[in-house]
Amino acid sequence: MEPEETKDTVVFKRSGQSLQWGAQLVLLASFGGMLGLMLLAGIDSLRALRQVQSRNVQIRQTFLLRNRALEEIRSALYQSGTFTRDYLLERDAERAETYRASLLKVRGEMDASLFRYSQSLDAGEQAPFSALQARIADYWKVLDPISHWDAKEKLARSDAFMHQELFPRRATTLEIADRIGAVNEQELNNGDERLKTIFDQFRFRLGLMLGITLAIGALLAVATTRRILHLARDADLRYRQAALAQGKLKELSARLVEAQEQERRAISRELHDEIGQSLSALLMELGNLGAVAPGDAELRSHVESIRKLAEGSVNVVRNMALLLRPSMLDDLGLVPALQWQARELSKRTGMAVTVDADSVADDLPEDLKTCIYRVVQEALHNCARHAFARSVRIQVVQESRRIRLSVLDDGQGFDSTRTRGLGLLGMEERVTHLGGRFQLQSEPGRGARLHIEIPLASHPVEAVL
Amino acid sequence: MNPVRILLADDHTVMRNGLRLLLERQPHLQVIGEAADGRQAVALSDTANPDVVIMDIGMPNMNGIEATRQIVSRNPRTAVAILSMHSDESYVIRALKAGARAYLLKDSAETDLLAAVRALTEGKSFFSPAISRILVEDYMRQLESRGAEDTYDLLTNREREILQLLAEGRTNKEVANLLNLSLYTVETHRTHILQKLNLHSVPELILYAVRKGIIV
Repeated sequence: MEPEETKDTVVFKRSGQSLQWGAQLVLLASFGGMLGLMLLAGIDSLRALRQVQSRNVQIRQTFLLRNRALEEIRSALYQSGTFTRDYLLERDAERAETYRASLLKVRGEMDASLFRYSQSLDAGEQAPFSALQARIADYWKVLDPISHWDAKEKLARSDAFMHQELFPRRATTLEIADRIGAVNEQELNNGDERLKTIFDQFRFRLGLMLGITLAIGALLAVATTRRILHLARDADLRYRQAALAQGKLKELSARLVEAQEQERRAISRELHDEIGQSLSALLMELGNLGAVAPGDAELRSHVESIRKLAEGSVNVVRNMALLLRPSMLDDLGLVPALQWQARELSKRTGMAVTVDADSVADDLPEDLKTCIYRVVQEALHNCARHAFARSVRIQVVQESRRIRLSVLDDGQGFDSTRTRGLGLLGMEERVTHLGGRFQLQSEPGRGARLHIEIPLASHPVEAVL
Repeated sequence: MNPVRILLADDHTVMRNGLRLLLERQPHLQVIGEAADGRQAVALSDTANPDVVIMDIGMPNMNGIEATRQIVSRNPRTAVAILSMHSDESYVIRALKAGARAYLLKDSAETDLLAAVRALTEGKSFFSPAISRILVEDYMRQLESRGAEDTYDLLTNREREILQLLAEGRTNKEVANLLNLSLYTVETHRTHILQKLNLHSVPELILYAVRKGIIV
């Protein structure tokens, strides 16, 4: 029975393992995927935010830079006008020369600003900027000759020059600068628009990922819930089946034990009462036969050898009957049977066995008596076979509602939390079947202590004799 | 001399027939009835008042030990001899406690039965030699395993004499007459003997005597 049981367990474990592996893979993939998506979404959001922010800063910086360059160009234009006028109107040659130097300085500044602006030029600004450059170049070309004028020329032409040449050209140049300023502003707005698009794309991606994650999460939740519920139902069903099977097995084993006991008793009685008695009667009749023919020597020797054979058979039959089920248990009660067993074991093994059972009645219920007798038998068997005990003490105490048995030995003991043989299992089952409690304590090197307790209340006293 | 009137109680007809044949070959023995179970044995001994009852233990309805108890309590003059297949001490002590005066094994009935009936009619106890041997061996083993000293050594010569007579089944009065002592002295001796041997009753004392080989 044992190897089959082991095989079944192994098979069950294997199928259980493959099932677990499949489920584990699915769970790992689903949860891993969901967490991965969430991670991706997070990273993407950070990246997008950083992108938006840096773009924003860049756009504003560019706008400010160009705006400043334009402002500088404008102010240089105004200043150039002013310095030109001052230069032309100034009579003092020395002072006029400082105005001319200022004018040159302003020109240099304007060139620098123009260059700076040209560095960050957009495609849309190309045309107006070229126009601006051309205008400015033209403007300066117009201004160039005045530095060669003498005082008379200045006096004569300066008024006309300013109103006809300088101011109109300055105005158109400023106009172009304004146009470029507008374009610059437009660029700023365009940048904001692009930022908005990036932001919208990001929002869409984030929404999509969240949606997918939620969907997977919901699917996963539904699937795992269904699976867990299924497993729980399965486990519940199996548990109930196992409990039922266990109950049936217990019932069956109790019945088997009972049937075995009855069988043993019947065979023991049959051996003892029928065969044993017949053999005894045979011996008696042999005596009578010898008395009928006292003188016949040959007859006497035959009778003698038959007597020897019959006596041998009587002994065999008696021992077999006692081993199956001691007649004392039925004829005299539990205590004489226990005492007989103790004596027999002492005789066979040299172990000192004492029985202390003064308070126990002769008329204990049948099943209780048998149970205690068989438990003691098994315990003594263990003491002699496995524990190598030198002395064993059996104590039975009968109280009003229960009967207690303890078997103490001084053998080598064992680890009672681990070692449980079939014999022990049988003892425990006999005891629990009668509603009793079974306790076995032992440690290696410290002997063993068996305690059982069986209630008497549910066992109305039967007349056995 | 009046014949000894005997009642046979055994559930096996073959056994009863064999016993009857064996007993009735003796002119002074008379089988006055046969019982097939304990109840019948009690009823028959009530009506017929036998001198000796040969009693089996394993019988239907009422077993031989219970029947012995009832017969002896109703008629103390009737001596019961147990004739059984059981050789274990627990049966012997139960039988003695129930009031039996002899214990025979069925395998040796043919040789022991007549000696037992004779002993009983003389007021003595009787045990099959096989029973005596088993009891003595058990006793020796117990002594050995316990390492106890032999309590028999504690008894005086007079106490040993009285122990033997009591174990043979004599009453206090008979012992007093035989030894020329007063009844009171015999009773005192008896109490001392039981105390020294740590025994509690006359059946236990008989068993002790058998174990020690003082009586056979």
